[in-house]
Amino acid sequence: MTLPAAVAMTVFVALPALLSLIGSFFEIPLTGGAWRFVGFGNFTDVLSDPAVLQAIRNTAVYSAITIVPSLVIGLSLALLANAAGRGRPFVRTVLFLPMTANLVAMAVVFSWMFSYPGGFVNQVIGLVGAEPVNWLGDPATALPVVALVGIWRTASLTMVIFFAGLAAMPAALDEAARAEGIRGLRKLFLVTLPTIRPTVVFATVLAILSSAQVFDTINVMTQGGPRGSTETVLTMTWRIGFGYFDLGAASALAFLLLVVLVGIGILQRRTLSGWGR
Amino acid sequence: MRAAARAGLLAATCVAVVVSLFPFYWMVRTSIAPADETFFQGIAWFPSAVDLSGYARAWTDGGLGRAMVVGLLQTLSILALQLLTCVPAAYVLAKVRSRATGIALTAVLGCLLVPSQVTLIPLFIGVNVVGWSDSLVGLVLPFTTSAFGIYLIRQQMMTIPDALLEAARADGLGHFRRLTSVVIPMAAPGIAAFSVFSVFAHWNEYLWPLLISRSPDMRTPPLALAVFQQADVGYDYPALAAGAVIITAPIVVLFLLAQKPFVQGMSGTEITG
Repeated sequence: MTLPAAVAMTVFVALPALLSLIGSFFEIPLTGGAWRFVGFGNFTDVLSDPAVLQAIRNTAVYSAITIVPSLVIGLSLALLANAAGRGRPFVRTVLFLPMTANLVAMAVVFSWMFSYPGGFVNQVIGLVGAEPVNWLGDPATALPVVALVGIWRTASLTMVIFFAGLAAMPAALDEAARAEGIRGLRKLFLVTLPTIRPTVVFATVLAILSSAQVFDTINVMTQGGPRGSTETVLTMTWRIGFGYFDLGAASALAFLLLVVLVGIGILQRRTLSGWGR
Repeated sequence: MRAAARAGLLAATCVAVVVSLFPFYWMVRTSIAPADETFFQGIAWFPSAVDLSGYARAWTDGGLGRAMVVGLLQTLSILALQLLTCVPAAYVLAKVRSRATGIALTAVLGCLLVPSQVTLIPLFIGVNVVGWSDSLVGLVLPFTTSAFGIYLIRQQMMTIPDALLEAARADGLGHFRRLTSVVIPMAAPGIAAFSVFSVFAHWNEYLWPLLISRSPDMRTPPLALAVFQQADVGYDYPALAAGAVIITAPIVVLFLLAQKPFVQGMSGTEITG
């Protein structure tokens, strides 16, 4: 009974992943001719390309400004939705909505809201007398704006996970904390977070994965511009592979990202396993 | 709770609700407002008139009508294939204990960690070599099974008591009958949660169709919208916003209907993981 899944998993996940690793050491002609072994050539090529280095830097910045806010906001929203009285089902539904949104559709809407000079955001800051800002056209602001959309979306995703985790928390724990007079932030750090530690780990992993692999919003809102300021590792992989048709180099870049992600995963396991005991 | 704290919570909740909803509101507002009100003239929070013609233009000129059919076929085919492959595999991994299933479970968890961009290029080459690019088969086939699906459904099946399966076996039911008459009904919440998740993910999928669909006839909803946006058709913002509403609406409706099993199913994922 596992045969269909095993075959599909091998053909569509394991084999491609392996081929990708092998392919990153070759020059791959798109027309289907023979592969040419180039050793670490693809890796040195991508790592010496200033555009790729900028994309790596951008991905790091994007991740730094989205992951932690997404987790903090997601947890706060879950606690808020839990504390809401009669409005609880309504609040919960509304706060879940950004998670379901189609990112292409939302990227279109957000690019209008941040458009220059007459978009929503510029009109609002105009109320207090500020000059309109070319949010998506200025290399200094484009990445933070795209990251803001990322936070809007990812906070909703982590909120769903925190919400489910909080719902599974034993009620007796709550009562015990109240009996001991532990409340507020102390309760959050001493009781709630240690109890839902697996949930915290899961939410963190998802937040890291979704930031490191951001693509849809950038492809629609900025296409990596202006002047490469929003180019990320995945948009760069896509550009190298399917824009310049250098599939070997694209595989190498994709694999470098995987190595970093696995590294973060191991580090995180180490840190979190010693935490909250 | 003190009154001040209560007021603070209420205010924070209101802010969160407004921030979550505002982009959706802005999308709907733009889709029904006259074209020259897309960007503010002063502060025009509400449209001065309601004009639904943008929906017709998105449906025909934007190719959204055709794309919705492609999207529906693609999403449902993927869901059917994933359920057919994941449910039996999850059953074996949950209820058959042997060394082989232990190794298989480790393999599934390993595949769960492979990010999509690593498999993207070999899959693209493979689909092209076989000649399935620009076809429904090419859009669907790489997603035949899902490591996440196997894992999620297995977690749910673990909660079924072994005694129940033993009793079914004593009644002479084979593996297949035990699966269909005992396991599937009892694991229904997990299967439902995964189904919702799969439909969300593949309806919204953008990167793979971007590579595979070449002809306008094969565009999926997000791809059709992105093409419509980049086509620069005289900046028809109401039609573009209407297109955004059209591709967002089915998912939002599905979410409103399936919210409960989705959250319940999700809460099973990380507790034992």
